[in-house]
Amino acid sequence: MSRALDLAERAARAAEGDEADVSVHVETSGFARYAASAVHQPTLISDETVTLRVARDGRVGCATTNRTDDEGLAAAARRAAEAADSSPVDPSFPGLQAPAPVPAVEGYDGATAALTPEDQAEAAAEAIAAAPDLGLYGYYTSGVTEIAVASTTGLAVSQAMTDVSVLALAASDDSSGYAEASSWRASDLDPAAVAREAAEKAARTRGAGQIEPQTFRAVLEPYAVSELLFYFGFTSLNALALLEGRSYLSGRVGEKLFHESFTVRDDGLDPVSYPKSFDLEGVPKQPVLMIEGGVARDVVWDRRTAKQAGDGRVSTGHALAPPAQAFGPIPFNLSMAGGDAASADELAELVGDGIYVTRLHYLGVVDPREGIITGMTRDGTFRIEGGKVTTPVVNLRFTTSFPALAAGLLGLTEEVTLVNRSDFYDERYPFGTLVPAVATDSFTVVGTGSGPGL
Amino acid sequence: MQDLAGHAIDAAVAAGAGYADARVVTRRAQHVATKNGEVDSVSDSETEGIGVRVLVDGAWGFAGDPRLSAEGARDAAMRAVAFARASASRARTRVELVAIPPAEGEYAAIGRRDPVEVPLEEKIALCLRAEEGMRRPEVKITEATVRALREERVLRSSEGASVTQRFVECGAGIDALAVSDDGRVQNRSYPSAHGGSSAQTGWEFVEELGLDREAPRVGEEAAALLSAPACPSGITTIVVDAEQMVLQVHESVGHPTELDRVYGTEAAYAGTSFLKPGDLGSLRYGSEHMNITADPTTSLGLGTFGWDDEGAPARRQPVVEGGVLSGFLASRETAALIGRDLGGSMRADSWSRMPLVRMTNLHLEPGAGSLEDLLADIDDGLYLETNKSWSIDDKRLNFQFGTQVAWEIKNGRLGRMLRDPTYMGVTPEFWGRMDAVAGPEEWRMFGLTNCGKGQPGQHAHVSHGTSPARFRDVQVGVRS
Repeated sequence: MSRALDLAERAARAAEGDEADVSVHVETSGFARYAASAVHQPTLISDETVTLRVARDGRVGCATTNRTDDEGLAAAARRAAEAADSSPVDPSFPGLQAPAPVPAVEGYDGATAALTPEDQAEAAAEAIAAAPDLGLYGYYTSGVTEIAVASTTGLAVSQAMTDVSVLALAASDDSSGYAEASSWRASDLDPAAVAREAAEKAARTRGAGQIEPQTFRAVLEPYAVSELLFYFGFTSLNALALLEGRSYLSGRVGEKLFHESFTVRDDGLDPVSYPKSFDLEGVPKQPVLMIEGGVARDVVWDRRTAKQAGDGRVSTGHALAPPAQAFGPIPFNLSMAGGDAASADELAELVGDGIYVTRLHYLGVVDPREGIITGMTRDGTFRIEGGKVTTPVVNLRFTTSFPALAAGLLGLTEEVTLVNRSDFYDERYPFGTLVPAVATDSFTVVGTGSGPGL
Repeated sequence: MQDLAGHAIDAAVAAGAGYADARVVTRRAQHVATKNGEVDSVSDSETEGIGVRVLVDGAWGFAGDPRLSAEGARDAAMRAVAFARASASRARTRVELVAIPPAEGEYAAIGRRDPVEVPLEEKIALCLRAEEGMRRPEVKITEATVRALREERVLRSSEGASVTQRFVECGAGIDALAVSDDGRVQNRSYPSAHGGSSAQTGWEFVEELGLDREAPRVGEEAAALLSAPACPSGITTIVVDAEQMVLQVHESVGHPTELDRVYGTEAAYAGTSFLKPGDLGSLRYGSEHMNITADPTTSLGLGTFGWDDEGAPARRQPVVEGGVLSGFLASRETAALIGRDLGGSMRADSWSRMPLVRMTNLHLEPGAGSLEDLLADIDDGLYLETNKSWSIDDKRLNFQFGTQVAWEIKNGRLGRMLRDPTYMGVTPEFWGRMDAVAGPEEWRMFGLTNCGKGQPGQHAHVSHGTSPARFRDVQVGVRS
């Protein structure tokens, strides 16, 4: 039995006499973060977090602890029970998940789990050595995450996941280029190659020029597409937002809203992504086709929103752990279908004249209902002239409609790339998006910023 | 806890660390959220552990362990040393720390009523009462939250630092979301968006916020926004309310004056800064009305402490004086690089993370006069209230911020309500357009708990005190 499942079942027993479920998160990770080609924030984390939800006659309370001895678990059970006793009846509580078989998935690699701090430092050093003429900024990180959910109704599921990412910003005072790579298998990654991609991109950004703000035809690399899609997914492909009228899809499901080449699903079972067997309530993961050929089909659901919808809906397996469910269900395995372009350069030919965007920075959702997102481009923004990527331009302030961007698709690369979306706050939980590079006729730039570089 | 920290330091030094510090942290936190008259979540969390930071041959290592035992302390120390040693063998430079006297003593937050001990029933009742006041036919979602936190933090170092600090925080907020029949959405919040406002003190802070007093206005304004005209585009004079000024100070002064960003260590994630070390004392940041102070001694501030997480004592320090850059937020490492004693701003969000240069309490010092005085000098402009969206570039220059509501200013008086206002600017140009800051009677402090930085990420709790401020010739009404 896994450590996480053992803890979950012990915690469920600690809530003896109550209706309860438990989610457990066990993390062992290492982070070799570097700046100016030196490791400066090396962090090794080891922790176990137990979240216990108790229901008493329809009253619900949660407690979380990382004290995992019997006394700590018993104390957490008491605090959860006290929280439940303090609450009025929760009519939206859907009850506990019944035991159900969960799909077997990939996503755990023993060699990745066995990486030592020395290995992580060595991988960081490989990246740094591959960009000798520029400062390298970023990290190499790998970790093991065990998730388990158990309940007093007999639910008992667990999964071990590995994840590994290398991120490289190669930069000088007047140049910067970006690249990253992620997988659940360390052997898939070549830190030196990622650093070289960043350095080669940086070398092309010197002498960046100004450009007049306007709505451009544009090519967006997977790093940029991933961030936009995740923000859109968080705010619009979420059943709670749909039900509350905050989603772009509210009142529009069934309508053709995007270009016919825009197809988006969430698929936790896809071995190319960060596979997940169940959500943090123990509900089996289901692939969800959300946008099919530009037509809005569905969003992701958890048990609470499924009950709220009241139309026979069931959870698709996208719940967060109980204390965080106010965000609604989250599509952690967003996947956008590719097209038939062989490369981003081929997409530039479709654009003709426009801009080429490598990466975005500090996105903000201006209007979630209309899918308006603002942010900056950085670390590799170029003009496209005559179908070719040409000269570098300064960082650009965009305030653009994601639906308009997706309605105006001109092409997509055949290849899709896994882009990590975790910033590793709080407990580690690997997630990312599988996306192609895209060309669009609608990317609205409203201002210009500083040039590339530090 | 002191013994455990000492045990970790002994183990690290014995294993070859030239410097070591250890933080032992125990934290208890509660969160109550209600929505549409029902309890959304009631949670009570605790975490504890030890974080050990070492320098081995001039290279950092850090490891955290949840076990508060001699074994856990020793394992964390040994892992930190191993990680540092692995990096040290490849390092081109050595980390140096500016010398500080070893810290010794205790600090405790001041408050009348421990917020964690306030019964959950009372917290839930407060939220439900406040929600009730926001109800309107157009308001489809009402939400209220309260939070409470208690933390004890012990720090020891191989240089002899030994301090124990006890922190208490609480906060609350309400939000109303109105939805029109044709699907348009607007929201209003109090006292601040994104989780309300918090302070480092007792439960009396939450009671004095007056959530149920403000709730009817919040609901009414959310509903009214549905039929308000859109904020026009153009160049105009704006007065920014104290709550939005918090974000303005935070994003365009706080982060760029973090010295680790200036030296590039956040380049890959949060970004760098348009400031350079040589700008200290000479760079014109804004107009002569701009005075910014970092003050970890401010009463009730979330960034208030006795010592930072390196053992540097709390000290009030100017960051911008009369519009000129006069300070940075620093660590012992960055202070050594710049060759100046700039006080301590190193903070970690938990036992499992390394301290980083973070804001403490960063304030815009008040000017003179009332809000009405600021408005009186405007023939045609906008008064912007309560943050809605924000984005700023990696050097902290180009920003675009949105607020929940704008009010027309006509001939010195507030007029009709406008929806979806945004404004944008470039940091030093924008601050250079500030021609007035309201006085102490308008100065308010807000505490926020969602300041992100670092990889792995950390959330800092920081406070900002601000008054409404007036800016001339600002681009508003940015459209996609």
